[in-house]
Parts: sequence; C-alpha cells; structure tokens
Amino acid sequence: MPDNEHSPHDDMDKKALVIDDLTVAYDSKPAIWDVDLELPEGVLMAIVGPNGAGKSTLIKAALKLIPRSAGTVRFYGLPYEKARSFVGYVPQRGSVDWDFPTTVIDVVMMGLYGRLGWFRRPGRRERELGMYALEQVELADFAGRQISQLSGGQQQRTFLARALVQDARVYFMDEPFAAVDAVTERAIVAILRELRARGKTVVVVHHDLQTVAEYFDWVTLLNVEIVASGPVATTFTPDNLRQTYGGRVSFLQDGAAALATGD
Amino acid sequence: MFQLEQWFIQFLLYFVSPEAVNSFLRDPRHTAIIIGTLIAVSGALLGSFLLLRGMALTSDAISHTVLLGIVVAFLVLLAVQGQAPDLSSPWLILGAAAAGVATVILTEALHRSGLVKQDAALGLAFPLLFALAVILIARKVENVHLDVDAVMMGEIGLAWANSNSHCLENCESVSITPDDPRAQINRQCTNCRTLGISPRDEGAQFADICTNCGVYSPGQAWQAGLIATQPVLLFWPKSITVLALITLLTIGFVGLFYKELKLSTFDPALAAALGFRPALLNYALMVVVSLVVVGAFDAVGSILVIAFFIIPPAAAYLLTDRLSWMLLLSAVIGAVGVYFGYDLARGRFLWLEMGGLLAGLNRLFGLGLSEQWNSSISASMVLMIFFLFLVAWVFSPRYGLVSTLVRRAAQRRHFADQVVMGHIYHHQGQVAEHEELIILTLHHHFRWSPRKMARVLARLRSSYLVRFEKGLVLLTPQGEARVHRFRQTQLGRNGQSMAQNLP
Amino acid sequence: MMQLTAEDRRVWLLIGGISLLALLFIPFSQLFLNVTYDYTLRTVALGGALLGVVSGVLGSFAILRQESLLGDALSHAALPGVAMAFLLAGRQLPWLLMGAAAASWLGVYFIHAVTRSTRLKQDATMGIVLAAWFAAGLVLLTYIQSRSDASQAGLKTFIFGQAAAISRQDVQLIALVGGVAFLILGLLWKEFKLVTFDPEFAGANGFRVYLLQMLLSTLIVAAIVMGLQLAGVILMVGMLIAPGIAARQWTNQLGQMVILAAIFGAFAGGTGAILSAVDKDLPTGPMIIVVSFVLVLLSIALAPGRGLVWKWVRLRRDRQQFAAQTVLRELFHYAYDHGSLMTPVPEKFILGVGGPAAALGLRRLREQGLVQPEGAKWQLTPEGIKAASHTVQNVLLWDIYRQFGDELGLPLVAEDRQQDIRHLLSAEAVARLEEKLAGRLG
Repeated sequence: MPDNEHSPHDDMDKKALVIDDLTVAYDSKPAIWDVDLELPEGVLMAIVGPNGAGKSTLIKAALKLIPRSAGTVRFYGLPYEKARSFVGYVPQRGSVDWDFPTTVIDVVMMGLYGRLGWFRRPGRRERELGMYALEQVELADFAGRQISQLSGGQQQRTFLARALVQDARVYFMDEPFAAVDAVTERAIVAILRELRARGKTVVVVHHDLQTVAEYFDWVTLLNVEIVASGPVATTFTPDNLRQTYGGRVSFLQDGAAALATGD
Repeated sequence: MFQLEQWFIQFLLYFVSPEAVNSFLRDPRHTAIIIGTLIAVSGALLGSFLLLRGMALTSDAISHTVLLGIVVAFLVLLAVQGQAPDLSSPWLILGAAAAGVATVILTEALHRSGLVKQDAALGLAFPLLFALAVILIARKVENVHLDVDAVMMGEIGLAWANSNSHCLENCESVSITPDDPRAQINRQCTNCRTLGISPRDEGAQFADICTNCGVYSPGQAWQAGLIATQPVLLFWPKSITVLALITLLTIGFVGLFYKELKLSTFDPALAAALGFRPALLNYALMVVVSLVVVGAFDAVGSILVIAFFIIPPAAAYLLTDRLSWMLLLSAVIGAVGVYFGYDLARGRFLWLEMGGLLAGLNRLFGLGLSEQWNSSISASMVLMIFFLFLVAWVFSPRYGLVSTLVRRAAQRRHFADQVVMGHIYHHQGQVAEHEELIILTLHHHFRWSPRKMARVLARLRSSYLVRFEKGLVLLTPQGEARVHRFRQTQLGRNGQSMAQNLP
Repeated sequence: MMQLTAEDRRVWLLIGGISLLALLFIPFSQLFLNVTYDYTLRTVALGGALLGVVSGVLGSFAILRQESLLGDALSHAALPGVAMAFLLAGRQLPWLLMGAAAASWLGVYFIHAVTRSTRLKQDATMGIVLAAWFAAGLVLLTYIQSRSDASQAGLKTFIFGQAAAISRQDVQLIALVGGVAFLILGLLWKEFKLVTFDPEFAGANGFRVYLLQMLLSTLIVAAIVMGLQLAGVILMVGMLIAPGIAARQWTNQLGQMVILAAIFGAFAGGTGAILSAVDKDLPTGPMIIVVSFVLVLLSIALAPGRGLVWKWVRLRRDRQQFAAQTVLRELFHYAYDHGSLMTPVPEKFILGVGGPAAALGLRRLREQGLVQPEGAKWQLTPEGIKAASHTVQNVLLWDIYRQFGDELGLPLVAEDRQQDIRHLLSAEAVARLEEKLAGRLG
C-alpha cells in the first residue's frame, strides 16, 4: 500500500492515541468518567468491560460522534479534525440497514468518500483500492453481491474492508467479533495482525474475555472509569477483572489467570 | 337507538327538568363540547395503546380507508334494497369496521412478503384503498347523496341540528282517517293527469281524497292544531347517542381486556406464549378504532380524528411512566382541549380575546384582516389539544425541555466539579503533581476555556473543597470525602448492576 | 468502463423496455381507448409524468431512510402554508407553493426536534404534525372563508387534487423545480448515499450529516408540494413511495433503483392521467395511485430473484430436486446392498421409504433418464449409476467437511447439502477432503 500522504511527519510524538480526562455524560449519569489513556504506535488494544461500561461511548466520543463533556483526544498529537484522514472506523454491524440497495464493492468504496471530499465521485482508482481491500478479507468474489445476501460474518468483513481502504494509521472497531462465524473471526484476527505488522494502531471493543490474551497485546479495562490499561501480561489480571466486573466473577479468575500466565 | 335514548332521557329527568335539558342542548357550545369529549375519551384510550405499540399512524390509515368500507356497503345496500340507505345505517358502520381490518391485513400481507418494510407497506395500502373509494364514488354514486366532503371534514358545530325529538308530556299522537270528523276531504280528478285533460272535460273521473290523513307525532299534531295542549318535547342530538354508545364500547373493551392489551403491547411474544392470541386482540383493537373513527366522521372528519388518537396520548406519555395514568391523563388532556377549543373557534384563546390581537395586527401591518374570529370548531379543538401537547413538551416535570435544560445545566456544573476534583485526586501527591495541577494551566487538560476553569475553581474553593498552594490546586479533606462518595454512588452503582449481565 | 454483470444487463434491458412501453402507450391507447389527446389532456399527462419522475426519485430516498410515511405527514402539513400565503398574497401559485413548502419544512423540523428531545417515536411525532398542522390550516381557511367566498373550492382541490387545472406554467414549474432537485442530487450523490446508508460512518468521515439529511428532506418536501396539485393530500404518499418500492424489487443498486423509480413514476403518472380521461367521472389522482399499485404488485410478484413467483418456482424446483436426489441415493444403497448396482428395486420399497415425495422424485429421475422401469421395479441406468455415486459421495464429503473442515483449515461455506461441495470449494480443498474421506473409508 502507498504511504498515506496526509500523515503528519512528527516523529517526536510516537503516541498513536492520547486521551486526557475524557468525560461523557448522557442524561443523568456519566457514561465514561475522567478517562486517561495513552497508546503507543503499533499495538492491538482491546477495550473490555461489562455492558453499559461505556466502551462504545469511548470510541464515539474519541471520533466526535457524540459530544464530550470534557477532555481531549489526540491522534499523533493532532485533534480529531486534523487527524480525520488517518483515523479509520468500523461501526457496529447492526447500525445499518443491510437491505439497502448497494453492492459489497460500493460499501467498501464508501471508505474513500471522506478522502474524495465534497462532490467528487469515486472512479477506477477507488474501485481498484476497494478490490484490493476485499481480497485482503477474502471477499473479492463477492464484490458485485448485494449486501443483504451476505452472512453476518461476511458483512463484518465488508465493514472491515471499508476501513482498510481508508489506509488509516489508527483504527477503531466497535465489536467486530460480535456474532461472527469461526472463519470470519480468524480472518479478522489475521487482518489485525497484518495491521500491527504494518505499524498501525487498532482499538477494538471486545466482549470475549477468553480471547483477549490471544488476540491482543494491550488491554483497557473500562467500567465508566478506567480500571486498568496497559500490556495484557501485566494488566489482564484477576484482580483488575474483579474490579471491572464487580464482585461475582469467580469463574473468571481461573480463566483469566490461566490466560494471563499462559501467554 | 331511539328506545335507548328514551330510557336514558327518563333517567336524566329524575335530576333535571326537561326545559333545562332542552335549553342546555340547544346551545351549540354544549352539544359540541359533549360530542368532542366523547371522541376525545375514546380516542385517548385507544390511541394510548396504538402509540405504545408503535402504530400511531395506523389510525391515520384506518381513518382514510373506512371510506372504502362505507362506499362498498352503501353500493351493496343500494343494489339489495333498490334505494339509497340511510348514512347512519349499522350496515355502513359494519362495512367501515371491515375496511379497517382489511387495511391491517393488506399491510401485513405486503410486509410479510419480506420485500416491503412495515411503514412502506402502510403507505402503499391506505392510499390504494382510499383511491379505490374515490373512484367508486365518482363512478357509481354520482347522483346519490354520499357527501365525501362531509366525511373528510365534518362539522361538530352542526351536530345539534340533527336531533331526535322525544315527547315527555301530553304525548298524544293523532291518527286521522278519512272518516274522522277532522279529515279534510277534497273531490279531485283522478285521471286528469294521466289522460292530459282538464277536470271539466268529458271522461274525467272524480274521487274523494283525504288531504290531511295520516299519523301525527305529538309535535306535528300540536303544530297542525289537532291537539289543545302543547306537548313537552325534548330534542336530543343523534350524534351524542351514537358516540356515547361507542365510547361505552371502548371503555368496556379497554376495561375488559386491559391486562391482555397491556401484556401484548409490551411483550407480544410472552402474550402469545401465555395463550392470549395477540393477533386476534390486535384485530379487535382495529375494529374498535374503526368504529370510533366512523362515529367521529360527522363531527370532526376523517383527517382531524387522528389528532384525538395521537396527540393526547403523546402528551400524556411525556408526563407519566404508568400506563393507567397515561390512559387517564390523555383522556383529560383531550377533554380539556375540546373545552377550550370551542372558545378558540369563537375567538377566545383560553381567557384572551383574539379580536384585539387581530385589530393590533391590522393597525401594525395594515392587513385588513377581519376582526371577527370565527373558524372551524373541530380544527380549533385539535389546535388546543396540540397546544396542550406543546405545554407538556416544554414544561413536563420529568421529560420536558425546560426541566431537561435545567437538569443538564446542573449536571454540567456538577460534572465539571467532579471532573476537576477527580483529576486532582488522581494526581495529588504523585510525581506529575507539579505538571498536572498548576492552577494557571489546568484548563489545558480539559480543553476548557480559562474562564470556565476559573469559574469551576472559584466555586470549589468557596465551598472549601479545594485549596490553592504554591500555584497548585489541591483537595481539602472535605473534597476528598466528596470524591469518595461520588465514586461509590454514581460510578459504583453502575458497575454493580452491570455485573449481572456478564456473559 | 467496468463490464456489466448479468443483473446489470437485465435491469438496463428492463429500463429500456418500460421506457419503450411508455412511449408506445400513447399511440396504442388511441387504438383501444376512447381518448382524445386535446391540449388539456396533453398538459395533464405531461404534468403527471414529470411529477412521477420527481416524486419517484426523491421518494426512493424516503423509503430507504425508512421514512415512507413522512410524505403523508408533510403533504397534510402544507395546508397552513397555503392558507397563510393566500391570506397574505392572494391566489398566486408561486406564493402558495412557497407557503406550502415553508409549512411542510417547519413540520420536518418539528418532527426532528421532538423525536430527538423526547422519548416519542417518529411515527407519533409525524402523526402529531400531520393532524396539528392540518388543523391550523383548517382554522385559517375557515377564518378566510368567513371573510370572503374564497376557499371552500381551494380546500377541496388541496385535499383531492385537481389535475384538470394543471396549466402549461405549472408543468414548466414542475420541470424547473425537478431539474434543480436533480442537479443537487447529482452533485451530492455520494454524500446522500452515504448518509442514507450509514450516517454514523459519514459523521466519522467528516460529512455534515444533519445538514445533508435536512437538505434531502427539503428536496422531498419540494416533490410533495409539487405533487399536491395533482394527487392531493391523501394520495401523495402513495405517489411518493410506490415507484421506489416497485423499483427496489428489480435491482440491488441505488443508481439503478432511482432511474427505475423515475421511469415507473413517469409511467404511472402519464398513464394514470390518460386512463382517467377515458371517462369524465374518473379522477386523475386515484387513477395514478391504482396504476402505481399495479406496478408494485407486478414487481413484487415477478421481479427476478426477489419476486414471489420466482421464489415459489425455486422452492418447487428445489423440493423436486431434493426428492430426486434422495430417491437416487435410496436406489444406490439398495442395489449396492444386493450385490449389483444394476439390481432393479421394487417400487413399493421406494415409496415405502420415501412417501409421496418419492413418487415425485422418481418421475423426475425418469425424465432425466437416470432410471428405467423394469416391471414393477426400477433400475438405475448407467448414467443413473454415475449420478448416484456422485451424489452419495457428495453427502459423504459434506459429512467430512462438517466434522473436519476446521481441522483441515478449509474456508467456511454455508452448509447446503443440495449443492455440490466440489463446486463450492477449491480443487485443492476438495482433494484434501477426498483424501480424508478415503482415509476414513479405508
């Protein structure tokens, strides 16, 4: 892939993502509270926590999709408005109508709309980039398919391909592993590792505690506040998990301990 | 129907005199308000369930398609009886109810094909049925009285004009036969017309014809001077009886099936599992909705009637969380809207005369508007109900705009305080303390303006939650206690309740 | 230029065909219908067709945003604007239309505001706007009426539409507004597509989502306001969404859907107007709606792939094929167990095992020349033996795939045993499966 020409050349700041004192409040309660987070370049980070812990909120607030009450988020030292061209986003699969009359390749090319800017239409070059991304997620044969004819996993991979064409440096993915088949899970993991190998940074909202240690090298435990954040080996501990999920996670202790030591 | 009215009137007369009833009902205002209230109550009861089921616009669809039911029933009766049926015939009402159910069935059939979304299916079905009705009317009912305008618009102010008269005293109905002494007998030519001859011509045949024979109701008999004492008559608008019956039916339906309706609204799957047949209940609901719509046609017309179904429940939904209260409140809101709506039509907004307003507008802009405000009563009632909705939207204690704004502002202040104190708590006593807690640069951490930060710090300091020390801001013991408490209540509870949702 | 897929070709063929049909309709209608193409009818038909195009195109977006009924609310909501404009400026069409647009637009805004700030759902807020705005219009109208003799006829026109009153200037106005709307749509095509499909992603990519959505709503309002004259308040929603719903069945691409919706809309608008001229009692608006609905029904039934008739045919064929395959395997196993694959199998046995479906399958097999009767018995033909071993092996391979697919690292395909797994997987993968199978059998 060609290097992204929009990326800033500040080698001084190698922190891919810095969140400072981020607070988001919906109606009566804070959804996330005073979140501080620093992420080096080239890591795969999982955000885990119970339902309603603000995992998706954290991502959306970072991308300014919902208003922040306080705090700053910087990508390679830049605020989101300036970093947009190298920040990629994979929303939850359920957030769109999959009966929409459009084809897989069309959806993937949507990832390039932002770079095209107002009025300009995608052309041959965009299509080639889209096909390249589809090959990466093993969906090249499906390019002309209508999106409702895809299985859940294939839909997820389509979204992933759409993020890949953005050729971002920092990716945010909202539950990409939710309800997908084994093949898709494998494909996503392969792509995550490929991204890491290329020096990209990926933040993933994740549900499955059993696979955290296997898939990721960095983890943030979130329950409105950050409980702990850091490399999996030191952060993904039974103590931290208990603190995140409240008292009753006895079965987790063994699993997490096993994973934490086994990796 | 007539008999029912009589029973009710007799019951009523235990309490009031016939003159009082007459003079009360003769006032169009009273009749209009009674009728409007009946529609408002039944509309509110049914509309609440429609709203909660996400079917608010189904009432809109039904109010249009019942026209097809009426037209088809009309044409069938015309063919069977050979003459135009009465518009208040129960067969027409039955046809209307059938059309209401047909709308729902057609919509569901389209939806169930899997090719059309629910809302689109509704948007296809009802224009089609309405279009068919309009075409049928244009083709077949040309010369027969089926006034589409009346169905579409209606006028509640005229309801009193269409009354039954009930006789209470001196109810002497008179029957005059040819041999009665009061009979007026005229000798007339019986074949002049057919033969085209004059009575004087040859061949003209004559017979004695009674010109005033027949049965006279007491009122008619008094007017014709056939009886000596004036009967006591009571005029009773027909719509009131029809709507009262429909309202009773509605109340009965909702009362009888309250539990089932509630369950199938909130959890159709559970209702089905418990054997309550939610589909059947849904059709029954549609039948009752159709009946109310038809009953309300004369008074408010088929477009405005949906206001009575949707707006009061929507307002009530902003005021309460409990279904029973919602039913009650929406009925009250509808009735209050009806009451003040009549005045609005006559130029008074609540207690404000509108003539002065119009005069002022005229003087300011020279518009030459009429200062006599006189407008559609039913539409004014709807506007008044809408006004009540606006009031609920803005001022509802829990969900209103104002209380939300006030609460948000308070929360923002509260959060701002907590964010700053939390930040200090985090860094106080740590190595980075001298970087993170400098008063003059603290606002950078939050991306706030220096002024906002100054305001927050001033507030915290004046309540002794923070102290300033060597250019740094630090928590006081009270401040620390406050942070602890916040963590336990606001944040901790969230985590606890969520722990149950573990995979 | 990219190459066309079979589906694309089919859609473009359909588009051409229907356009041709629409063009031919006018001369043909003169043969079959008692219609005279006078000036009025030409104007009305042209107006109807143009409106069909405008509302079909913009209505497609309303459908995809799942706001189909917005058209209904907004057409009713136009009334107070019309009345207000009449009160202030008199009976001048441009002002009336502007008033209508302003009132509808205010309705859109109110719907958005209430839906965003309360827990009311959009259907309820649309109903509120529909009824309240219409009531406000009625109040204004009756007030005007009490002053002058003006408005009763105007109200009737508004509610039912008045096609006959459409003038040359009206048609020009429709063309102009439609042209501007299409220009905007063309310029912002990719933006509209994106915010309609995935507003969240559009927001994350820096597009002004709310602005774009309001702009699209404004265009829809323009289409509604134009259409009111012809279709009237109540039928407008049908005119808006029916062409798009019909078009959606034929294609899976937004661009094609919009073009097809335009053509369907033109067809319904034009032919509806012409059909209503057959008899003076036939109203135009309702005729257009009926024609549109017929288009929708035909599309739902016949559209290739998606249509109900196709689904039914496919289901039937699948069922037959399934029965045939089952019988074939039965025959194979029976014959295999009896030593020779040529062993005739008693019909009683086949029907006893497979039931009535087996008779169906047997008939189909015979048609394909895979079995032949042998008295009251059936015998596999040489082709039959080949086919039977093929299908038996297919089932075995599926079993292996299900059991060991993950272990062998094979890509995931949906399990459908009526499909030949050897076609679904690569040759190399099949070889691995067969190897495993041989291992298991041996």
